[in-house]
Parts: sequence; C-alpha cells; structure tokens
Amino acid sequence: MARILYGVWNEEITDNRDKRFFEIEELKEFDQMDEFNPGNPVKAFLGAKGFFVFDKETSILDAAHQYVATAAKESCGKCTPCRVGTEVLTSKLEALSKGEIGADAVDEILTLAEHIKSTSMCGLGQTATEPLIAMLRHFRDEFEISIGRYDETGKQAYTDYVTAPCIEQCPSRVDIPRYIEYVKDSKFDRSIGVILKKYPMAATCGRVCVRFCEAACRRSRVDEPVGIKVLKRFVADKERYVTDQWFNEDLISEKKGDDLRVAVIGAGPAGISAAYHLLLKGYPVDVYESLTEPGGMAGVGIPKYRLPKDEILNKEVSIIESLGGHIHYGKKMGKDFSLDDLIRQGYKSVFIGVGAHRGKKLKVAGEDDSLEGYISGVRFLLYINQHVLNEEQSEFPVKLGKKLLVMGGGNVAMDCARSALRMGVEEVHVAYRRAEEQMPADVEEIHAAKEEGIHFHFLSQPVRVISEKRQVTGIEFVEMELGEMDSSGRRGVTPKPGSEFIIDADNVVVAIGQEVDASFLSDDDGMELDRWECLKTDDHLATTRKGVFAGGDCVLGPATLIQAMAQGEKAARSIDEYLTYGRPQFDSDRRMSQIVECVRKHADDDVIQPVKHQYRVRIEELEPEKRKEIFEEVEKVITAEEAFREADRCLRCYRIYSVITDH
Amino acid sequence: MQGTINGKLVEFGENETILQTARRYDMFIPTLCELENLDHTPGTCRVCLVEIKRKGDDFTQIVTSCNTPMEEGNEVQTRSRKVREQQRLQVNLLLTDHEEDCATCVRHGDCELQDVAQFVGLKEARFKYDFSSGRTKDASSPSVVRDMTKCIRCGRCVTICREVQGTDVLFYENKGVNSEIGVRDSDLLNTSDCVSCGQCTLVCPVGALAERDDTEEVIDYLNDPEMFTVVQFAPATRVALGEEFNLKPGSNVEGQMITAFRKLGADVVLDTNFTADVVIMEEGSELLHRVKEGGTLPMLTSCSPGWINYVEKFYPDMVSNLSTTKSPQQCLGAIAKTYLAEKMEIDPAKMRVISIMPCTAKKEEAKRPEFTIGERPEVDVVLTTREFGSLLKREGIWLPDLEEGKFDNPWMGVATGAAEIFGSTGGVMEAAVRTVHYIVKGEELPGVDLKAVRGLEGIREASVDLGELGTVNVAIANSLKSARELVGRVRSGEKEYHFIEVMACPGGCMGGGGQPKHKHNYREFLTARQKAIYDIDASSELRQSHRNPLVKEMYDSYFGEPYSSERSHKYLHTTYWDKKRTVKHTIKEIWDELSEGR
Repeated sequence: MARILYGVWNEEITDNRDKRFFEIEELKEFDQMDEFNPGNPVKAFLGAKGFFVFDKETSILDAAHQYVATAAKESCGKCTPCRVGTEVLTSKLEALSKGEIGADAVDEILTLAEHIKSTSMCGLGQTATEPLIAMLRHFRDEFEISIGRYDETGKQAYTDYVTAPCIEQCPSRVDIPRYIEYVKDSKFDRSIGVILKKYPMAATCGRVCVRFCEAACRRSRVDEPVGIKVLKRFVADKERYVTDQWFNEDLISEKKGDDLRVAVIGAGPAGISAAYHLLLKGYPVDVYESLTEPGGMAGVGIPKYRLPKDEILNKEVSIIESLGGHIHYGKKMGKDFSLDDLIRQGYKSVFIGVGAHRGKKLKVAGEDDSLEGYISGVRFLLYINQHVLNEEQSEFPVKLGKKLLVMGGGNVAMDCARSALRMGVEEVHVAYRRAEEQMPADVEEIHAAKEEGIHFHFLSQPVRVISEKRQVTGIEFVEMELGEMDSSGRRGVTPKPGSEFIIDADNVVVAIGQEVDASFLSDDDGMELDRWECLKTDDHLATTRKGVFAGGDCVLGPATLIQAMAQGEKAARSIDEYLTYGRPQFDSDRRMSQIVECVRKHADDDVIQPVKHQYRVRIEELEPEKRKEIFEEVEKVITAEEAFREADRCLRCYRIYSVITDH
Repeated sequence: MQGTINGKLVEFGENETILQTARRYDMFIPTLCELENLDHTPGTCRVCLVEIKRKGDDFTQIVTSCNTPMEEGNEVQTRSRKVREQQRLQVNLLLTDHEEDCATCVRHGDCELQDVAQFVGLKEARFKYDFSSGRTKDASSPSVVRDMTKCIRCGRCVTICREVQGTDVLFYENKGVNSEIGVRDSDLLNTSDCVSCGQCTLVCPVGALAERDDTEEVIDYLNDPEMFTVVQFAPATRVALGEEFNLKPGSNVEGQMITAFRKLGADVVLDTNFTADVVIMEEGSELLHRVKEGGTLPMLTSCSPGWINYVEKFYPDMVSNLSTTKSPQQCLGAIAKTYLAEKMEIDPAKMRVISIMPCTAKKEEAKRPEFTIGERPEVDVVLTTREFGSLLKREGIWLPDLEEGKFDNPWMGVATGAAEIFGSTGGVMEAAVRTVHYIVKGEELPGVDLKAVRGLEGIREASVDLGELGTVNVAIANSLKSARELVGRVRSGEKEYHFIEVMACPGGCMGGGGQPKHKHNYREFLTARQKAIYDIDASSELRQSHRNPLVKEMYDSYFGEPYSSERSHKYLHTTYWDKKRTVKHTIKEIWDELSEGR
C-alpha cells in the first residue's frame, strides 16, 4: 500500500510533507502504486487529473518534463496548442532543468501550460499539462528545487502509458481512438491494421461485439456513444482484401523450429486469436477442432443473419492457414486424443479454448432434455447453422411445430427466437423472468426481434415443463414482481402467489446460459476446475498442468467474443514467455493499466464543454417483413460519408499516465 | 433559444455555433482555419476563442466559437482580456511552428496568418524554435507546390480534395510538430493520384500549397530578342484577372490584357477563344462521327486537363469515351507552330507559346510528352491568372490603368461568343450544340442559347432534338465529385447519354485552381464571373463557332475537313493512357508504421 507524500488529484490536495513517513496513512485504494515491478517502488505517479509523489527524492520538474514530452510525441499535430505548445513547453522544461533559464521563467511556463489545457481540441492536449499545473499551483517550491539540477535529478526512470476510457474497457485494449482517427483521414488500411494487431477476426467483431468500449464512451454524456462497432465493421468490410492478400508466411520474421510446436484446442475466438499471435511470433501451430466448421460459438452459436459465415467468419479464420497454421476439424479432445498424446507427439505447449457449449437447464419440474420438442438454445443454434450451411438441403433434426417458446433474455435467446422465425415457425414467444430493462440482450437485438413480430413475456418465471406422451406441450409460469434494489443495484424479483399461467408451445428452447462441458477432461490430464466448473488458471492463464494454458469461455464461463480473443492473445504471450524464458515476464502496459484503475474512480470525466449534438449513424437494415423469412445479413454496412461523420463524433479522450520508478 | 454575446441578448437555433450567431449579429471574431462557405470548422487553429459561462456554471471556460454550439442561457464574451491574451498566445504558437519567410512567400501581403496576427494584436513573435525545417517541401509537380514548413494544419485542402473533388489525395500525416498534409500513397505529388486541379491552392490560407511559379521563364522568353513570342489567354482569365487589381469580380479586362502583353513585348497576342472555336469544329464532328458510326458513347469532353488526369487515373477503362480532340490551349500551341508559323514565315523552333490559364493543371498538360512539335512543346510555358497578375505587378503594370487593346492577328485574331462561354461550366456543351445543330439540321439553334445547360449545380442534364439523329441526351458535371456521380449514372446504365461535358473545377474554368483567390472565401464570386462570361457571349457579333471566318479560312487553306483530315488528326487530336495506380500496403508496413507512432 502506498503512502502519499504530497500530490494533487482532481484539485484535491494531499500534503503529508510535515509528517514522518510512518505516520502517513496508507491508502488501500492506492495499493497498486506501491511497487511497479517487484523490487522497484513507484516514486511518483502522474496522470490526467494531477500527480502523487511517494518518495521525497523525486524531481517533479523532471517528471513533468518527461510527461509533457510524451504529450508532444503523442500529439496528433492538428490543433495548435497541443502540437506547438507541448513542444515549446518540453523545451522550456528541459532548459529549466538544465539551468539554461531560471525560476523567473516559471510564470511563463504556467501560462503556457494553462493555455494548452484550456484551448486544446481533444482530451490529450486538455490533460497534457494537468500534473504540471497542479505542481506549479500547489507545490511550486518542490518544483523549483530541481532547477538547474539536471545532472543529479534529470532523466529519472520513467514509464508512460497512453490510453482512453474506451481502450481501458476493451478486453483486447484496441487503440480505438486511433483507428477512428484513421477513418477520419480515410486511411482505412491503417485503421484495420490497428485492429489486426490485436486479433484477426475484425469483421466478425465489427458485427457481434458487445461493445464494452461504447459503454465507456464519453460521447454518451453529450448525446450517444460513438458507433465504434459500426466503424470497425466499416473498415473491416472496406478492406476485405486484406485477409486474402496481407497474410502469408512472409509476414513472420523469425520462424521457430518444429521442436517448438504448439497445439491449440478449439477453433473458436480464443483459439484462433491464440493461434494467430503464436504464428506471428513464429511458432508452428496446429489447431484441433471438434466440430466440422470453424469459429466455435461465433460459428455455431451466432446465426448467419447476424454473422455471415462463408464470406466473413470463415475467411477470417482462414488467416490462420495463410500464416502456415493447420486446422484439424472433427478432432475432439477426450475422444480423439488426450493431452498426453499431444505432448507425446512433440507439442511443447498447449492452449485450450474449448468454450462453454452445454446449455443450462431450467431446473424445474417436468424438465427432461430427452423430451420431444425440448432443446437447449446452443444446440438449436448449432443445428440451424449447420442446416443453413448445407443451404437448407438437409433435413432439420428437430421437428418444429407452429408455436415455439424461447426461455431466456440474453443474446442467445434473441438469436434462437429470430432464427426460429426464419425456420418458418409461425409464432415465436420469448419468456424472461425479469423486466425488459433488465434483459442482458443488446437493446438493438430486442428491438429487431420485436420488429419481426416476436412476442415477449416479461416477469415470467417457469415452474414446470408440461408434456404429453413425451412431447412438450408448454410451460407453466408464475408471474414475478419487481422488488427492492439489491446491493448490485439490480431490482430483485419475487413470485406473485397464485398467478400461475401456462403458455402452450410445440417447441421449447431453453436459452438461459451455457456451461463448460468438462467431460472432455480425464484425470490423466491433470487439469483442475474451479467452483464454477471452469478450467482453473492463474494470472497468466497457465492451467494447473505445466505448459498448458487456457482461455475464453472454458475459463471465464460463457462470456463474449472480445473477451475470448483477448484471452487468446494473452495466452499466446504467456506461451511465448514460457517457451522462451520458462516463466512469465513483466508486462508494463498491463501493470500501468492496473495502476490507472486505482485512480479511474477518482476521475471526474464529465464533458464540461458544450458540444454540438450529432446523433450516431443509423444503420440500414433489411425490412423486418422481408428479413424474418431469410438468413441474409440484416444490418448493412455504412457508407464512407457516414463513416467520416461518425468518426468525427469521437472526442479523442486520450489520457497520459506515467510513473517515476526507482530504476 | 436565447443567450448573450458581450452582454447583448441574442437568439439562435439548435446547434447553431457561437461564431455563426456572432456573425448574424455582426460581431467579429478572428478566425483562421474555418471557411464558412465550405462549412469547414475543423477547430484546429484554436484562434476563434471566446469565453463562455454556461447556464448554471459558476466558472467560465475558453472554447472555440467555430464549433461550439450556443446553448440556452449561455453568456459569451468575445473581447475579454483573457480571450485576447489567449488568442495572441495561440497565434504566437502558430508562428513558432511556421517558417516565417514572409518577404519571399507567394502569399506576401495576402496571407490569412498575417491578418490574424494583426487581428489579435500580436506585437512580437515570442518563441524562437525551429519546428518546421524537417517537414516536406515538394516541388515535384509541374502544377502545385507543397511547402509544409508553412502549413498551419487548417485542413481546408483536405476538405476540398475529399468533399469537393472526391479525389481524397491530401490527408493528414505524421504526428506532433512533424504533422503535415501528406499525399496518399506517395511521397510526392507528381507520383500520386493528384489530378493537378489546384482547388487546394484556392483555399490554403498561407503559402503551403500554391501554383508552381513559372513567371521567370516567361520573362526570359519575352526579353529574348531571338524568340518570337506568341501569347494566348483563356476565356475565364479575362473575367477574373481584374480581381488581382481590386476590380470587382466579373470585370472584363480582355482589352487591358491585350495591351499589357504588348507592353511586355509579346510579338503576337492571341485569344484561346480562337481555338475554342476550332475545338467545337473538331469535337462536334467527332461526336457526329461517333453517333453515326457507332463509336464509343457517351463522348466525354477533353478540354479540362484535371478531368483528363482523373479519367486516366481513376477510370482508365473509360479513356475511349474521351474526345480525342485536344484542348483549346494545346490546339492553339499546335496551330501557332504550324499554320501561323507558315503564314507568318517564322521558324517554329524559335517560337515560344505562352499561355495564361485559369488552371494549374494546364501547366502539366503543356508538359505531356505527346504534345510536342519538333523538339519543343506545343505550349512552352503556362502561367495561371494569379501568376500573370503578379508578373504584371513585378513589371510595374497596373492593369486597370491600361487602354483597351484589340486582337488583330489576321490569321487567328477572331473568336466567337460560343468560345467565350467555354470559361463556364456548361459552355462547351452549349457551344457544341449550337454548331452540331447547324451541321445536322442546316439551320441555327433557335434563339441561339441553350439555357437548360447553364447554371452552377453539380450535374445538369438536357435533351436536344437533332433531327435525323434523333434526341441526344447531354449532361454536364462540374467538380470531380459531381463527375464521379455522373460517371456512376453512366456505368449503372440508369440513363443513356450521348455527350457529357465535365470540368474538373467547380463552376468550370472560371472557378479554376489558377484563378484569383479570396481570403476566407471559396466560390462566392463565381456567379459574377459567370454572368460576365455570358454577357460577353450575348454581346458578341458572332455567336457560333462554325461562323468564325478565320476558322473557316484555316480549314479551307490548311487543315481540310475537321476531324477527318490527316492534318487535323496529326495536330488537333491526341491519345490517352491508363495511369491507374494500385498501391497496396502490406500489413507489415502498416504495423511498422504504427509502432513508429506515425
């Protein structure tokens, strides 16, 4: 835990300089700021809202100099104060540090710093001088101590980190403002390049991402968040040739020998992302996939009208093969091979990303998954995707009646309901135990489902599955009432006694969640599970078996595409470090991100300037009447003009954070 | 909604900016990057600062007025001490980043940055650093010079290039003080997709983008006693040059230009309008030939070299649609060095043809390798209207003071009103229809004019009844963005066209990239120039190209039949090339660029 000697954050001043060090209160919320890496204490922290000093030997003049120099380097160069001001300021701070100018220049430095803050165009410039201003307003004496002492105090060990709220919330930490900036400049190839640095499935993500970034977007304080996902899809679709032309084995600079082969289990988002990064690092990679098609949950769990398979998903997966990787389909771990087999075959490391493909049950009376007309949501979607893949030629394995009832309120439930319509079911109902506002599905999905004529029943909790002669005939529900807010801020629900009712249905699709089907593991594999029946991993995604790493839904439980891809990337890094150094290495960006998290909740990030209201681009869609009968992609790509306009909405909330460390 | 500016109650609408509101109430706020008639408010210069207090706030803040909306109850101060000091500091920073070589700059005395320094009351340039010398200076293009040491990143050129022309060649590149306006997929302009239209030079507030200065070469020729100098000037120049001498837009200075050339020592002063009449004879005959013989249609005009570049670079599969007739500038060069040289008994190798054009692309056109006669180019050097203005000033000639001269060359000294309207969008079409109508029907177009094709809208269409040829569909596009849209219509087959006139620049030649520019103003003066052009036509004695007696005489005595004779083909027609570039960056290059932080 860190003891703040002095500092300013969000205009709140801390000054413990008259206390003895042990008397200073340790602040739990700053626990991350104690050490940067083991044995390397953090001496000072500078960020968009001020600074903290933990060690009295710190030269804050030098800290400010290095911080402003980062801003000058990162400045996009469009607006005057950030472009020129930060450069002038850097020169002045250096001159001050070197004693070329004296304390009489400090007033001018403060004027310039305040000018950059008040007149810069985006978040980078607006916050680039915040620590300096705080120092000069409140701790000028400490600042001036270092004037002319560059030889003793200059160039302290300094680490910087440039981020933005959207980047911090993105599991893959994609540099979102940057790819948006490239859209503005119509450098679409650079834009997609930013995304492809993180994962290969850009067009897929641009269609189905749950958008943690947009939830964090500060533009929503003005009108609506920036359409980050639609911009991603725009550049990915625009530069579709990249997957054909950009990726080949020449891209890999240092190829590793066959003695360093890595096996990846599962060709879903986590596995593909891991394989991609491992291949780029030079490892020979074999991917084993139990199904006959790629994409994992993105392949079989998301319907084609949201994510076209041949043109989009499969093409992006094929990047793995373009990079020299091999994907072996129809090979299931636990059935066709075991972990020991892989090791015996010479794989030096294994990544497991098998997903969570078993549907959860309702756990109510009368439920029996062998009943005719009863099916889990994931299985239903799997059958549909395979059926559509076969161009609807094969016989559908489930007999569909006239009325189908989907249980659940997430995106899987919406996918099941909307797919059922497209399979020709006349009447589709969705029942969810909580209120509409509490549905975890994307608002857009719910809206689209309603447009297509799907009936919703909210606050309806199933109590019994009704069947006749082993054929499902309906579900008995009890009405629920909204209760008080619980500690997590969600209103609880309680059953209304005596309110039971029945919805008849020929088919019931249960889409209330998935879990890991751990039956692929045997005791010999040496893998432990956690209490949610997920694979147990450490911070570096290493499992309990040496050399075996895991990520995605099989570690997280059913989560999202972007989280799985992020874990794939992270595991690839861990595997590389394991195979190179035998143990994980220090990741300064990740460490900075943790440190920044300490102050994030202290940051008041309101948009205080008036901004012209400009609502986000409306995406053209197929007409509900037309689309509900076919599996053609519903959402259309936006035009270049729309993309420019949407990109212009980005406020570029870049923030610089830095630490001064001992070494 | 209501608020106050400097204590005065103002009313405004949703999303109206502070600057717009202030202007409506006639309150001045200094601006630099903003360009009102392009709706360009990138907010990059940060000079148009004002101090605002939002309703309910207990503090004031400094914002840019160009892109900050007025809000109910907001109080705005445009002249507070804080505002003035910060505006001054801003301009100080701008100058720090700008190579201050004012005395030698093309924008000397006409610079928006200098203006704004005065508007904010700047007394000294405070910071002395060299932040600019690492940036690009690009003199590779025969048309446009790029000096990024002077760029202030207003982005007007980027907007013009993307939104008006749709070429999207210019873009922001690099970061920090090294940021500049780069050229897409190329280091230099001459190897890029730039079509040399020069619209960017019309809006650059400083000397960062300008026409290539060829005045020195012109002075050389005019003062070389060995050389026989033939000058020509295009129709659009005479209705705009006056603006360089404080005359109001639309003043016709044809007569003064003739006198000026004579004062400068030109041996023969010709009107490009003479060859505009020739072009109508050639292009009209070519159109008839294509319609009758089943040639490639629609035929596209070929007078605008920016448009030619555009087709060659963006739609090379359509070069066969382009009329093979050379532009009036090139026809004049070719005719001067053949027919005129013969008639005047002058060695064409000693002849130098100097053009005054409204156009930067004409400079490049004159340098096309196919446009040569003997060892020399048909046209030796091209000056834009702007350069000609500065040449006159260098020579101590104040245009408005001159007497009006007249064209007097006995072989090429007559032109018609049909040629004059080449200077406006729609003019080539109208002139062509006047003549084709006569050739096909044996009678003049009733009422002479074809008003349906006049105007300033991006795309205009008309149908003309041409008797035995049936109804001919014609269309006109001005600006390359409109051209792209029209080409889209052609390609989609949504409508069948026979003849399409395209001018690369908005308004046609009168809005050309080489025309006089106006600070904080783009296009506003086009209406006045256009009116002047049509007035000249209306008051002309001859209004149809086929009635130009010297043109007739030239065909009879030298070229023979338009389009079909050997000489006409050799000297008045040309070929075009596929110049499309396909540049694909590898992902490795892009990733390297990203990690270098560019």
